[in-house]
Amino acid sequence: MKTANGTESKGAPSFIRRVQQVSVFNIVLILAGMCLLLSIAVGGKFLSATNITSVVRQFSFYAIMATGMLLAIITGGIDLSSGSVFAFSSIITCLFIAKWDIPLLTGMPVLLRVILGVLLGMLSGAAFGYLNGALITLLKLPPFIATLGTMSIARGLSYGITGGYPIGSLPDQFKFIGLGTIGAGSVQIPTPIILMVVLALLFSFFLRKTILGRWVYAIGGNEEAARIAGVRVDRTKRIVYALCGLMSSIAGIATAARLGVGQSTAGQGYEMDAIAAVIIGGASVNGGVGTVLGSVLGAAIMGVLRNGLVLLNVSAYWQQAVLGVVIVVAVSFDKLQHDRKK
Amino acid sequence: MKKVLSFLLVALLVLGASSAFAEEVEIAVVPKALDNAIFLDAKTAAEEKGAELGVKIYWEGSPTSDAAAQVNVIESLIERQVDGILISCNDADALKDVIDRAVDAGIAVGCFDSDSPESKRAFYCGTDNYAIGKLSAEYMMEYLPEGGKVAILTGVLGAPNLEMRITGFKETLAAAGSPIEVLPVQTGEDDVQKSVEVVSQFTAANPDLAGWFFDGGWPYFADPDALPEVKAFMERGGRIVSIDTCEPMMQYVGLGMVDILIGQNYPTMGALGVETLYKIIKGEEVDLGDETNYIDTGYEIVDINNYEEVWAGKAPW
Repeated sequence: MKTANGTESKGAPSFIRRVQQVSVFNIVLILAGMCLLLSIAVGGKFLSATNITSVVRQFSFYAIMATGMLLAIITGGIDLSSGSVFAFSSIITCLFIAKWDIPLLTGMPVLLRVILGVLLGMLSGAAFGYLNGALITLLKLPPFIATLGTMSIARGLSYGITGGYPIGSLPDQFKFIGLGTIGAGSVQIPTPIILMVVLALLFSFFLRKTILGRWVYAIGGNEEAARIAGVRVDRTKRIVYALCGLMSSIAGIATAARLGVGQSTAGQGYEMDAIAAVIIGGASVNGGVGTVLGSVLGAAIMGVLRNGLVLLNVSAYWQQAVLGVVIVVAVSFDKLQHDRKK
Repeated sequence: MKKVLSFLLVALLVLGASSAFAEEVEIAVVPKALDNAIFLDAKTAAEEKGAELGVKIYWEGSPTSDAAAQVNVIESLIERQVDGILISCNDADALKDVIDRAVDAGIAVGCFDSDSPESKRAFYCGTDNYAIGKLSAEYMMEYLPEGGKVAILTGVLGAPNLEMRITGFKETLAAAGSPIEVLPVQTGEDDVQKSVEVVSQFTAANPDLAGWFFDGGWPYFADPDALPEVKAFMERGGRIVSIDTCEPMMQYVGLGMVDILIGQNYPTMGALGVETLYKIIKGEEVDLGDETNYIDTGYEIVDINNYEEVWAGKAPW
């Protein structure tokens, strides 16, 4: 799939689209199959509005994170720091909103303080991401190593700033981001789900319709060729990692709002869930391939699977193994389909 | 000249030695991990006791729960020649050798919260985890005399203290011939979000669920607004017994979102641990508990009758 490169020739974009559509179709098939099996096994328990809402809300945080991770993976990189940035940004936001008792902030209307706190948290996430990009492009560190370092830095800063204490007493205006609903009458959709859909649409548009988005695929397809073709590789990569950090921070802030508490321990290991969602979603670790829709569906598969294990009353001691088997089967199924197409 | 010099040298040595003698006692307190909020009360109490006794307290540990990383921490403490180490072991066997080396190097070592019984440590002060599992089962049987389905929420699988609580819980129910049916264990992997999601989904999916046993209080670190399913569960007559009595959890007792909290006594573990080590270092007479040198720090029980009083006594988080 390395030739899936937007700058190569006139025919390339449609080729990308075709590959993308095929892989998304497979993922939809897997997800539908899982839902069908669960509906048969536990019936109404799975299909109840409460359960479906709960599952979608749960995976929306992972899906937001996975969308950022997808960008890094398309360029052939990875961002291991996203779980730590998830915690760091949420802590900055929660501290700003609930803990920093300087007169300027305490005198501020709550809503304004919430908005500024969220923006500051997002900025901190984007800044961490940009730092990743700078380490990768300016110091030429491999993404795996650079983000392994910042993973530790962001986590360590989170512990240091909070001393390990959780930050509670957050105002309702903030909790709305994670716990509220938007809608009319009896149709009420949880805010994080709306957030996920809006962000997914934005990033899908970005990747498919903007020049910068095409460059992201081009870099992953063949970095040297892209460079020769005039793609500003380093600058694009820095933007990609900054966006990845931004998405991690949004997921972290929304999770803190959902739980009503900011914690330095939040998001441990979530980077692995995000990576798994992106790969299940049809992206290649070699870069150049992957879609936002696929990643969201990948996160959905993980979410439905986790929910299914709970509904089926599977003992926690076996759940990890089952989760692993399904990931391997899902990715293999997708890979076999691709190979047959070739 | 030589005489004067040697005299000076001896004087210097004596001075140096006496100043070393006057140096304050240094005790390092090593939790399982720095990222576990449960140890914060032990830290505060250890530091307060340190200030009272004139002991310098170092709070050091690995960022996450990891026995190998903890071994490295102890090794560096041996290098630094601290006077005492108080440790909560991630793994009883993995820490044994390094604890023995510390003791051989003349460092007084005690365990708190999680023991390494085969090592040369002087004592272990902590909660009897089997006993609190047993106690939880007794409360559950009192709440559900007619029986019913009870689910268990645990944290990281395989952690010795959590497994002991589950064993204590299950064995007590079985021994009493209780009609309570224990469902397969669910885990939130020590993560607040995962714990909240698992409890919410499981509760919503099992309308016939009668009780929950949380062998650690992870869901109660979240805001009460985040747990509408738990609120609904309690309103329809569900019963919850939960371990841990951290400050943020107190509000849940008042809200009727948990029947009883059984807390390990972390402040006592921190304070008593430091004090006992201090006495050992100073060569004073000291009580080392029973024949296995186990000092039971007991537990605290919080329910609707006493939660306000207990809450008032806790430092706000």
